[in-house]
Amino acid sequence: MRERAWRAVMLVLAAAAFAYGWRVTRIDLGELATKAHLVRPLVRDLLRPELLERVPRVQEVAVPVSLGGGEPPLPPSRGPQVQVSSRAVRVGQEVVVRGEEFEPGRPGRLVWRDATGAPAPLAEFSTDARGGFQLRVRIPDTLGDRGEVVAVVELAQTVWRPSETLRLVAERMVETVFLALMGTAMGVVFAVPLSFLGARNLAYGPVGLAVYGVSRTVLNVFRSVEPLILATVFAVWVGIGPFAGVLALGVHSVASLGKLYSEAIEAIDPGPIEAVEATGASRLQVVRYAVIPQIVPQFIAFTIYRWDINVRMSTVIGFVGGGGIGFLLMQYINLLLWQKAATAVWAITVVVALMDYLSARVRERVT
Amino acid sequence: MGKPFLEVEHLTKVYPGGVRALEDVSFEVARGEFVVVIGLSGSGKSTLLRCINRLVEPTSGRVWVDGVEITALDREGVRRVRREIGMIFQQFNLVKRLPVVTNVLTGRLGYVPGWWSLVNYWPPGLVQQALDALERVGIRDKAYVRADQLSGGQQQRVGIARALMQEPKLILADEPVASLDPATSHSVLRYVEELNRREGITVLCSLHFLSLARRYGTRVLALKEGRLVFDGHPSEIDGRRFREIYGEDAVEVEIA
Repeated sequence: MRERAWRAVMLVLAAAAFAYGWRVTRIDLGELATKAHLVRPLVRDLLRPELLERVPRVQEVAVPVSLGGGEPPLPPSRGPQVQVSSRAVRVGQEVVVRGEEFEPGRPGRLVWRDATGAPAPLAEFSTDARGGFQLRVRIPDTLGDRGEVVAVVELAQTVWRPSETLRLVAERMVETVFLALMGTAMGVVFAVPLSFLGARNLAYGPVGLAVYGVSRTVLNVFRSVEPLILATVFAVWVGIGPFAGVLALGVHSVASLGKLYSEAIEAIDPGPIEAVEATGASRLQVVRYAVIPQIVPQFIAFTIYRWDINVRMSTVIGFVGGGGIGFLLMQYINLLLWQKAATAVWAITVVVALMDYLSARVRERVT
Repeated sequence: MGKPFLEVEHLTKVYPGGVRALEDVSFEVARGEFVVVIGLSGSGKSTLLRCINRLVEPTSGRVWVDGVEITALDREGVRRVRREIGMIFQQFNLVKRLPVVTNVLTGRLGYVPGWWSLVNYWPPGLVQQALDALERVGIRDKAYVRADQLSGGQQQRVGIARALMQEPKLILADEPVASLDPATSHSVLRYVEELNRREGITVLCSLHFLSLARRYGTRVLALKEGRLVFDGHPSEIDGRRFREIYGEDAVEVEIA
């Protein structure tokens, strides 16, 4: 009887707790349906990442000119030709640019490219029926003592090429993978010695036990700090960028690898240790011949697994200034560039899936 | 004659937690004897063997080996004396992921500089010695195979080769054949017997089966609940003695 009453009270309490939870978290399943139109464009854009873009093929001819010097040598060119009336010029001077043997009847533009390669538009034109054009342009205010007059004529043909976004995303993705690699490497360097000190079965005597306690505490404290918080701290310390991410992942990896490693050490077969000890080997030799051979496979497996996790984590770390793909993704999201964001999201998905697969394969092989 | 080769005096071991594994055990062993220690599981056989090379620290009592008081040595002294005491284990205790020859070479670790070990360097002379040791136990062809690829009997022969590598004065064998089938047991024990007869290495070997003790031992020590209850020639163990050692309900099992 008492038990039944007790159970009823518990049920009522549980029901009250969930009812309150439902209210404070403002759960409203209806909103999922009524507000679906808000998310539709976003989902649509996420399904249309910017991967490739179609660009017209172009004919491009660049003519070097100098500012305040002699005429620079003219590289030999075949096909379309461009002549500039003077190739030793000063800023503001008018020159006549003549082109011939371009594709007839196509739109084109003239561009000034300064010494750093930065382009500035000069004029637009169309080629005549014989593929020529003639324009009078003014040399713009520019950096450096040389530059190029570039004629670009667009052809009717188009080609596919990786989009600007895709190239940028790929670059950041590579940065992310290496960021994770460096963070993992940093973790390994410190975790290996810590794990030996923090393994119960290798701790001899009161000094050993004290060292064991300290190492375990250090590992536990570091592990309890979220990598996101670490990244924030390091972004303030060394500035926003991949280095902050490396440090954040590194510190977190020390803690998590250290724990995994020391547990691997604690799980080894004590028999070989006893046997090698019995031959009169020193402590160091026992570790070298009886401990290390037993733990190498697990150490490799854990390390690769950690790298895999760190790639995943570094995308989030990027959001708080840790560099890599996450930082780029955050910028796209803040600018509401959903298609570009989609490119980044898909790239992350592909790379994470690939890392996951590869790390599983490697772990299978070594154990 | 002078002092006996091995002398154990009032040896007592109480494990933390209060288990009394050895209770005032005393005996002497002359050089060249093949002493078999029998007794039920938990009677203190393993503890006795491990107290002799101090893998287990005795609670009280003294042990001398070849004139050296083992129980009085510091850590470095223990390390030095262990170099000359070979040990063979029930579970073979090989480092499974290392090649057989490296396992044998570990028998020599007590003599090589520590930094050699860091880079896994072994002088060619020692490698040859290890191969010779493997030759003696009949598995020279397995030298470069990983230890875990070997059968139980072969692994135990590697264990013997490792002990042999130490050029020991004394071999402690802790149930060396308890994990092996009868035929393999005999072949392994014959190698130990050969070392005892040909090299004059003193052997202290714990065994489960009385029949094996009778076949190989020149002398039998029996332990019961940590006390020495018999010390004599194997043939002296009759039905009454047998029941004393193994308990009233025990029946002797022959192992062919």
